[in-house]
Amino acid sequence: MSRRLTILKSVLWTLVGVLAAVSVVRFLHGLGAVTHLSDAAPWGLWIGFDVMSGVALAAGGFVLAGIVYIFGLERYRPFVRAAILTALLGYVAVAVGLLYDLGLPWRIWHPVIHWQVHSVLFEVAACVILYLTVLTLEFLPVVLEHRLFSHRVFKTVLRALKRVSIFLIIAGIILSTLHQSSLGSLFLITPYRLHPLWYSPIIYVQFFVSAVALGLMTVVLESLFSNYFLGHTLHRRELSGLGLAASIVLWAYVALRFGDLVVRGVLPTALDGSWQSWLFIFELGVSAVIPATLMLIKPIRSQIAGVGTAAFLVVGGMVLHRLDVSIVAFARPEGIGYFPSWEEFAVSVGIVAGGILIFLFFVEHLNVFDDVKGHPAPEQPSYDPATLHPLLPKRFALPRMYSLGFLLGAAVALPFLPLGGVEHVPVPVQGPRSVQVIIQDRGENETRHFALATAPGETTRMLMIDGNRDGDLVLFDHDNHAERLNGDASCETCHHLTKPFDTNTSCSECHRDMYDERSVFDHDIHVMRLGEDGGCVECHSDGSTVKSYDTVTECSECHRAEIAGKAFIETPPERWGPAVGYMDAMHTLCVDCHLAEVLARPEQLPESLNRCTTCHDVDWREDVRRMAPKRERPQRVAGDTKSSGSRQ
Amino acid sequence: MSAAILIDITRCIGCEECVLACKEENDLGPDRLRPGQQAVDGLSATRFSTILRLPDDHFVRQQCRHCLEPACVSACLVGAMRKTPEGPVIYDSDLCMGCRYCLVACPYGIPRYQWDESAPLVRKCTLCYSRIREGKEPACVEACPEEALLFGERDDLLEEAHRRIAENPGQYVDHVFGETEVGGTSVLYLADISLGFLAWSEHLGERDLPQLSWASLKKVPGVALGMGALMGGIFWVINRRMKLAAMEADVSLAENDSDV
Repeated sequence: MSRRLTILKSVLWTLVGVLAAVSVVRFLHGLGAVTHLSDAAPWGLWIGFDVMSGVALAAGGFVLAGIVYIFGLERYRPFVRAAILTALLGYVAVAVGLLYDLGLPWRIWHPVIHWQVHSVLFEVAACVILYLTVLTLEFLPVVLEHRLFSHRVFKTVLRALKRVSIFLIIAGIILSTLHQSSLGSLFLITPYRLHPLWYSPIIYVQFFVSAVALGLMTVVLESLFSNYFLGHTLHRRELSGLGLAASIVLWAYVALRFGDLVVRGVLPTALDGSWQSWLFIFELGVSAVIPATLMLIKPIRSQIAGVGTAAFLVVGGMVLHRLDVSIVAFARPEGIGYFPSWEEFAVSVGIVAGGILIFLFFVEHLNVFDDVKGHPAPEQPSYDPATLHPLLPKRFALPRMYSLGFLLGAAVALPFLPLGGVEHVPVPVQGPRSVQVIIQDRGENETRHFALATAPGETTRMLMIDGNRDGDLVLFDHDNHAERLNGDASCETCHHLTKPFDTNTSCSECHRDMYDERSVFDHDIHVMRLGEDGGCVECHSDGSTVKSYDTVTECSECHRAEIAGKAFIETPPERWGPAVGYMDAMHTLCVDCHLAEVLARPEQLPESLNRCTTCHDVDWREDVRRMAPKRERPQRVAGDTKSSGSRQ
Repeated sequence: MSAAILIDITRCIGCEECVLACKEENDLGPDRLRPGQQAVDGLSATRFSTILRLPDDHFVRQQCRHCLEPACVSACLVGAMRKTPEGPVIYDSDLCMGCRYCLVACPYGIPRYQWDESAPLVRKCTLCYSRIREGKEPACVEACPEEALLFGERDDLLEEAHRRIAENPGQYVDHVFGETEVGGTSVLYLADISLGFLAWSEHLGERDLPQLSWASLKKVPGVALGMGALMGGIFWVINRRMKLAAMEADVSLAENDSDV
């Protein structure tokens, strides 16, 4: 085996190793963990490259099959088996790529059972599944020629396959025509999202014609690849012929693109200097105009370098076209971009690497190229890894090297992978702020009340903190908290170092009834008052059931006076629980009264007094439940109970 | 029957009671974002409806429009998206295979995906299909304290919308958003501003989107037959000529032989 082939295989195995590592995280933690896909960019590299470009790159199979078997151009026969193998592996790669991209890959068979014939994607899926079958049957004879299958059963199958081969070829061409074009039809439904330079009512014709040209050119590239790595003969005259054919098809493609722009009247858009127009010019130049021109010139296309360059341009340019349609020129909301993550690249590259390895395996063991005699004698690599481990037979040297590459790839990839799955954005915390406040002492229960200082008076400085990390700042009387919580020894109650990602306690951890609808009930107080351990049965009277909220004695059994009489708060019956929560209480206290006042004095009070926005500043927030009262209301005295007190 | 919602933007005060009700009805839980995934219009897999707060104090409710000819339904290759006879466009999570073509196809960019799940599903408003079947209003309509949302027959709501425009011509843009766009939608908007920004294009045509794909799909049988006939024909002609040529060569060879 040539040295460059050994190096190539080692590199490919390393890439497959990276793929393996990424696969673990992809299938454990889902798409979000390894991709940059989002609701704004639902289709990314895996669709744009693996599926859209993969299918197009595999077009060589049906184009060459048509040239040789239908049109009888026998001189292209040396390419046909390799082209069909490439197509087969290309479609397998598409299917594997889809397994990564589908959210629920284990349902990839669903289109076989659940038909929805109005969906373009259904047609694509059906054609791809059928074509994969046809390709397998087209390639099967090559496999069956191997000496492993010398039993006469296989010979019978082989003869039968050869007899129906022309029907397989025609079926393959029909299916390819349909789905190569349908990949373009997929975007017919997005006239408002795909840029007008790419969107076209005849996009499916453009896709088909470009696929034919691309198919011809991939065969050229593949031939050069086989020559470089495997030492196969180059068929110069035929390569030049393929180049000329591709050139003609490419000119047809250019005419279709331009003609379509002219007919739709968007030709000026192609020259307006926007990035889309430059991309369009670049893409059409690289994918069609430049290579088609090159291949029109006979001296250039007769040279391997000339036709190779053109093939390289067409393949690169057409892949760019597929990526443009599915990703780049596909509209996303302003300010939201999409660039594939390294994991997405790793998967796309890894699948291609795996495909090439399988291709090489087939080439080495089967008569894929009709010119077997072209094989050069295997030469020994100058560095032989087998010498390092004389215990193992020498024939394990290469597999060992490849598995080393595989493990190396996997090992290098692993540290960079988000092994924990998707990490969510932590709720941003506003930093504490020092503000000037007015102190209003009230004698009775020694509580102090504050308001943001807007007028001169006795003021002090106080903290405003985002105590619940919900984006709302509240005045926080630090001294008072320290005093009530036992002075200097109390720091650790809120400030602690034992929770790594939590620098201090949320307000709601102590003020537990802040958001909780039933949190007026304090279990600890009840346990204490009812006599510690013996008190459980007072409420959890049914010893046979699990102690839970559902099985507990109703509060009203004991608190007859307060709750049976419904105290002072009316609540809707369906929300009636053991006790009403903070928000229900507040809403009933304010809103009812506001409404009554508005109705009583419609001229003097604004109509909107009882609306939510009177008190609430509804804003984008993590959780609408946390609908806290409006911030920065200087006139209002925090904690002032005068207004609600009148109700009691 | 075709159930619909009329949203009067001028009445909305942005209290998000409808969003809360929607979250409770569909048991969506708190919102969670991935890094770098800022919510464009606030819709997410855990939020089927949102209120967009425009800088000029307009509150615009965003939710699935339940199109009369839904692009997502025609896009879904396994029929997981379905337009019900009652009006709502609903989603069958048992059929979905996660291709996300519905996200691509929607002209309003509504469907959302559970990107952080290992078995993700498409999530979107169902117009409270189960509630509608029970004869109730959708949860958001019931929750709205300002009657900015109105539930009913689409035709009745259109009538009501045009009546409001006629009564207060100065208060509204003279257009019911959703009446004709992409073939008509079941969620209609009355507004004092243009709501074109809610879609991928300011000017959605009246043509429904599924017919654009159908234009190509209906050609499939013809193309298949035509291509088959063409290829079969070419093969037959070329093959026959080559055989004839071979026979002629044989004959001339034989003649040459006999001449000798």
